[in-house]
Amino acid sequence: MNVRSQISMVFHLDKCIGCHTCSIACKNIWTDRKGTEYMWWNNVETKPGTGFPTKWEDQEKYRGGWELRDGKLVLKSTSKAKTVTNIFHNPSMPSMDDYYEPWTYKYDELFNAPEGSDQPTARPVSMVTGEYINVESGPNWDDDLGGSRIYAESDPNLKGLSEEQRQQLSAVERLVLFYFPRICNHCLNPSCVASCPSGALYKRGEDGIVLIDQKRCRGWRACVAACPYKKTFYNWSTGKSEKCVLCYPRLETGEAPACFHSCVGRIRYLGVLLYDADRLEEVAKLPDEQLIDGHRSLILDPHDPEVIAAARKNDIHDSVIESAQNSPVYKFVKEWKIALPPHIEFRTLPMLFYVPPMSPVMANRNDDTVSSVSDEFFHDIEQARVPLQFLANLFGAGHQGKLLYALKKQKAVRVYRRSRTVGDIPMKTAEAILREADCTVEEAEGIYKLTSLCTFEERFVIPPMHREEAIEMMKDPQEHKTAVGFGFLDPPKRGL
Amino acid sequence: MLRLLSVLAVSMLTLGTLLAQETADYYRQNCMSCHTVGGGRLTGPDLKNVTERKDRAWLARFMTDPKAAIDAGDPYALKIFQEARGVMMPALPGMTRARAEALLDLIQTESAKEKSIFAGVQISDRPFTDRDVETGHAIFTGAASLKNGGPSCIGCHTVNGMGGFGGGTLGPDLTTVFERYQGRKTLSTWLSAPATPTMQSIFKKDPLEPEEILSLVAYFQHTLTRNPEDASTARLNFILIGLAGTIVLLGLFDVVWHKRFRAVRRPLVQERQLESHP
Repeated sequence: MNVRSQISMVFHLDKCIGCHTCSIACKNIWTDRKGTEYMWWNNVETKPGTGFPTKWEDQEKYRGGWELRDGKLVLKSTSKAKTVTNIFHNPSMPSMDDYYEPWTYKYDELFNAPEGSDQPTARPVSMVTGEYINVESGPNWDDDLGGSRIYAESDPNLKGLSEEQRQQLSAVERLVLFYFPRICNHCLNPSCVASCPSGALYKRGEDGIVLIDQKRCRGWRACVAACPYKKTFYNWSTGKSEKCVLCYPRLETGEAPACFHSCVGRIRYLGVLLYDADRLEEVAKLPDEQLIDGHRSLILDPHDPEVIAAARKNDIHDSVIESAQNSPVYKFVKEWKIALPPHIEFRTLPMLFYVPPMSPVMANRNDDTVSSVSDEFFHDIEQARVPLQFLANLFGAGHQGKLLYALKKQKAVRVYRRSRTVGDIPMKTAEAILREADCTVEEAEGIYKLTSLCTFEERFVIPPMHREEAIEMMKDPQEHKTAVGFGFLDPPKRGL
Repeated sequence: MLRLLSVLAVSMLTLGTLLAQETADYYRQNCMSCHTVGGGRLTGPDLKNVTERKDRAWLARFMTDPKAAIDAGDPYALKIFQEARGVMMPALPGMTRARAEALLDLIQTESAKEKSIFAGVQISDRPFTDRDVETGHAIFTGAASLKNGGPSCIGCHTVNGMGGFGGGTLGPDLTTVFERYQGRKTLSTWLSAPATPTMQSIFKKDPLEPEEILSLVAYFQHTLTRNPEDASTARLNFILIGLAGTIVLLGLFDVVWHKRFRAVRRPLVQERQLESHP
C-alpha cells in the first residue's frame, strides 16, 4: 500500500442553477490576461449540449485520454514515436474556433457617438486580432438551449438512446436541461502529464494538484490534445500552456478555491482523499463496467488503522489524515456512493465527482393539458425526463447501474425527509423505500444534512498544506522563508 | 660559446629551410596553376629566367599589385596582359614585398636547375579515348569517387545535359571550361593545383590524381561540343520540379494524416443549418 493524499471535489448537480458565478470568479482571478481570454478553467455547460470546446466529449475527434491497446494503457493522441513524427504539426489539436474567438465591444463608439438620427452601437471586436468580428460562438453559446437542433441534439452522450427518447428530450413541454459545471479533474492518471514532451506538467506530491511549470513549458501543446476534458489551454501570448491550478495559493492559506467559494448554489464540496498509488495502473486497465468500482477501491478508509500507519510511513501529516477523516468528498463518493466520476472511460481516473441530478417528472400532453405520468409524489427514476442512459453515458461509462443506485438513494432521502417534515407519507413507506435504496436512516440524515444544511466548514475541509514539508525536501524552510517575498516578478514568455 | 654558436647555426639553418619550404608551398598553391618554370607558358608566361628578362624591383612591384601596373599603362605589363589573352593576374592573398622577393629567389634557383620541380605536372599526352570521357563523366557526377577523397564536381558545378535538377550552381558552369582555360595543358595544370580560394581550400588536402585530371579534361573537351545551359530553362525546370514535388508531398501529408483533427464547431453548425433549411 502506497498511500498518497489528494484534494478531491464533489459537484452536486441537483443544486446547480447554472448562474456561471464560478466561471466569472475564476476568470477575474486567473484568465483575464492577454492570451487567456478564450480560456475558461471553470465553465458551466448545459446538458444536453455540446459544451466547451464544442463536442469535447467526442474522442473520435479530439483523441484525448487513454485507451487499452493489447493490454497496455496508451495515450490516444500521442506516443514517443508520434512526438517526433508530429513535431511540426500535431494532428489532434483543436483550433481556437472550436473553443471560440474571444471578443469585446468598442464601447467608445457608443459613448462618444455624435448626435444623429441612428441609435449608436458598440460593435464587437476580436480580443485576439482587434478586428471587427461576427460573433459566431461563445464559451456557453448553447447556454440553456436544451432541445436545440444544433447543440442539444449533437450531444455525444445521446449515444445509445432510442429515437423516441431523443425526441422526448426536445419535445415541447417536455424538453429538459441540467447544468454541468467543469474544472480540471486533477486526475490520478492524468494524460496531460503523460503526454508532455518537456516534462513541464506534474502532479503535486502533497495534494495531487496537477500543474504546468511555466518555466519548463515549451508550448508543444501535447497536453491540450491529450486531456480528454480539454482543460489545458494554450496561451498564444506567452507561448505556454495553462490550466486550472485549483487556486492552490488560496488553498495554501486555508481558503476554498474561488469557484468553490463563490458558488451560489453551494454545490461544491472539497476535501482530502487518501488513495493507494500502487494499484493505479491495475485499476486504469479495468474493463469499462468495472472502472467505477475499481476507482472507488483506490480510495482508502482514513479511519482504518492500517491505512493511517501506511499514510504516516509516507510522511502524510497527522493533520492531513484528520482532514481526510472529515472529508465530505469521502462521504459522497465512498460511503454513500452517490457521487460519480465524469467519463471515467477516458481512464484518467478523475478526482472530481458529480452527484447526478434528479430531473423533473415526465409529463404527458393531451391536447392542451399537460399532466404528470406518475402518481407517486417523487416519480420513478426510470420515468425521469433525462433518460438514465444519457446520465450513464456521462457518469457511468455507459452503464446504468451506478446511476440508478445514486438516483434511487437521493429519491429515498427526499421521501424520507418528506415523511419527517410534512408527514403526508407514512414513515413505513419511507423506510421501505430507504431499504430498497440501500440506505439507512442515519445515512439519509447525513445526506440530507450535507446536501441542504451544510456550512462552509462542512463543505470545504481544507487540510493544512504543510508547504514547509515540501520545501524542506529542497531547502531549509527557515532559509527559504527569509529568501522569498521580495524580488522581481518574472512573467512567462515565449522561448526558453 | 662554441656550443651556443652551433645551436644558433643549426636553428638558423632549420629556419632557412623552413622558410624555403614555406615559399615553395606558397608557389604551389598560388602560382603553379598559371605558371611553370621551364615548362612553357600556361595562362601566364613561363617564369624560367624571368629575373634576367626584367629587373627584380619591377617584378616585385607587379607581383604585389598586378592590376595597378596594368591600369597605370606600364608597356611591359600591358604586353604580358595581351599575351595572356586578357586574363589578369589576380591579387594574391598574403603577397608582400618580402614574399615577392622570396618567390623571385625561388624562381631564380629553380631556373638554374636543368629540370625544375615546377616544370609542370606530368600528364600523359596520349590522345583521349571514349573511355576517358566516360570516366571523366563518372568522376564529375560522383558515380566514381575521387581517389584522395575530394568531393565530386557536381556538388558545385554543372555542365549542360546533366538532366533533372542539373548540377550545383555554387561554382561556374563548366561546359566550356576547356576553351576558357586554353586547352589541355593549362586546364590540367590548373586542376593539379586549383588557384581559386574555394577550390584551393577543398583540394589542397585531397588533390586530384593525374589520371583523374586526364579523364576530367577529356570530359571537358567532350562537353565543348554542347552549349552552356540556358539559365532561364534551368531555372524554369527547377521551379517546375519543385512545384510538382511540393504537390506530391502535400498530397502525401494529406494521406498520412488523413485522420487529423479538423474543425468541429463550424461543420456541425453548417451541417445542422443545412438540414433545417435545405
